[in-house]
Amino acid sequence: MVDFIQNCIDGVMFGSSYALLAIGFTLIFGVMRRLNLSYGPSIMLGAFLGTYFYVQWDTGILTVAAVTIAGTILAGVYVERLCFRAIRQKATLASMVSSFVIWMQLEEFSIILLPERTYPFPALGSAYIFEIGPFFLRSEHLFMFLMASFLVIVFHFMLYRTRFGLMVRAISENPEAAKFIGIHINAVMFWAFVFVSAVGGVTGYLILSTDQQITPLFGLWATFKGLVAMMLGGMGSLPGAILGGLLLGVVEAQSLWYLGNDYKDLCAYFLLFLVLVLRPGGLLGKGLVEREDLAFRRV
Amino acid sequence: MLKVENLVTSYGMIEALKGVTLEVPQGKITALLGPNGAGKTTLMFTITGILKAKSGSIRFKGLELVGMPSAKIVQQGVVLVPENRLVFPKMNVLDNLRAGAYVHIGRDKAGVEADIKKMFERFPNLKERSKQLAGTFSGGEQQMLAIARALMARPQIFLMDEPSLGLAPLIVEEIFKIVKELNEDGITIFLVEQNAHKALKVAHQFYLLEQGQVTFKGIPGEMEEDEIIRRAYLGSSQGH
Repeated sequence: MVDFIQNCIDGVMFGSSYALLAIGFTLIFGVMRRLNLSYGPSIMLGAFLGTYFYVQWDTGILTVAAVTIAGTILAGVYVERLCFRAIRQKATLASMVSSFVIWMQLEEFSIILLPERTYPFPALGSAYIFEIGPFFLRSEHLFMFLMASFLVIVFHFMLYRTRFGLMVRAISENPEAAKFIGIHINAVMFWAFVFVSAVGGVTGYLILSTDQQITPLFGLWATFKGLVAMMLGGMGSLPGAILGGLLLGVVEAQSLWYLGNDYKDLCAYFLLFLVLVLRPGGLLGKGLVEREDLAFRRV
Repeated sequence: MLKVENLVTSYGMIEALKGVTLEVPQGKITALLGPNGAGKTTLMFTITGILKAKSGSIRFKGLELVGMPSAKIVQQGVVLVPENRLVFPKMNVLDNLRAGAYVHIGRDKAGVEADIKKMFERFPNLKERSKQLAGTFSGGEQQMLAIARALMARPQIFLMDEPSLGLAPLIVEEIFKIVKELNEDGITIFLVEQNAHKALKVAHQFYLLEQGQVTFKGIPGEMEEDEIIRRAYLGSSQGH
């Protein structure tokens, strides 16, 4: 029983970062109506830039963080201009395909920047292990969890308490109506991308500084975690993204403990399969059908 | 206030507006009647910049609107309540209204909140449901909300595209009552309506649009209403 609860604790710690990734995907999906398949790789590019600074010039952790976030934002803007802005509203498939292509491009660029298979990533501080009764809590996991929770609150605040968030929600709910209100749709989409990229950069930094290493597989890894968490919780639903992330984290932790490393991913995908079969919209989501209908209402 | 001259708008190779010329005088209610497919909604969309005109001019108080981005047109005070309401379904009434005031919220937050209070006075049933999600409203309530939301943008000229479409007769009465009240408060109204009978009751002047062109201009009461209505619904090609 102790193990089970310990795994739940670990799972929630990790799941909080999956939740952040899922929120990034969900927000862009809500506003743009398409999946940004370059999200993970743009975070990776930012992180690789940060690593480059670390490896070449041994800069401090704050500089690495700043470079990571800035790099992710730059990559995000690049993706937005090429894949989303440049392609007409109705050609959703074309922009998803082009975001996939840019994914490949960002990965290749990252590998050119740092060709080795693995690089060290600076830790945030010395590790400390808390003992609460029979349970263990690593300080860096706790920090990641607290930061992730803080960022979720930031997201919520942005969406529900700012004028900008109101515009983002308006465009997500009814893009046609948003036009009639006089919203500068392109401008709002651009800044939404910047915001999501910035949070993505912080998320990547948190995950990598806990791991203390970075490999070129990070982009793919982040994409999988974010997408699976989003699909578990429900596409287009912010609470769903959080729930999906936490659930994924816990399921991974439990299957890692009881079944071993080989089965960890298998269990996660099996869970996804079950959820999609039983509740195709995800646990909390409304599914794609309703949104498509809203997006392509006759003019 | 609004002068449209020889406006041409096409969908690809099909010309939906074939050179429309009309004028909407300040302070009055102008109705635009015509059969389905005549181009009424196309005209509304072109005026507000949602569609790009191929040629021609739209002058609002002397300012040329053709080529202006639609966000800027709304800022000038040209606001459209579109067909099909298009409220934001997952937002409550307050958020819908605030979204409508988007162009003003940045500079004048207190003014916007005061406007919301005024909206609630004018539309008491919205006040009752201020925290409810717009998607749960009935058609008539959504129409009220859509009108209130558009009013939040502080229009100088208010364009309405088929506000009574698909609504029960009692609600239709209320909507037209509101149209009249808004005009009495000084707002210029340009109204597209299928319900020609009701529209002619409130309008000061009307135009008939058929197949992308203005075929008639008149003042209600000058002509036999039956004749106008027949042409509005059937078009003059169905001659008698």
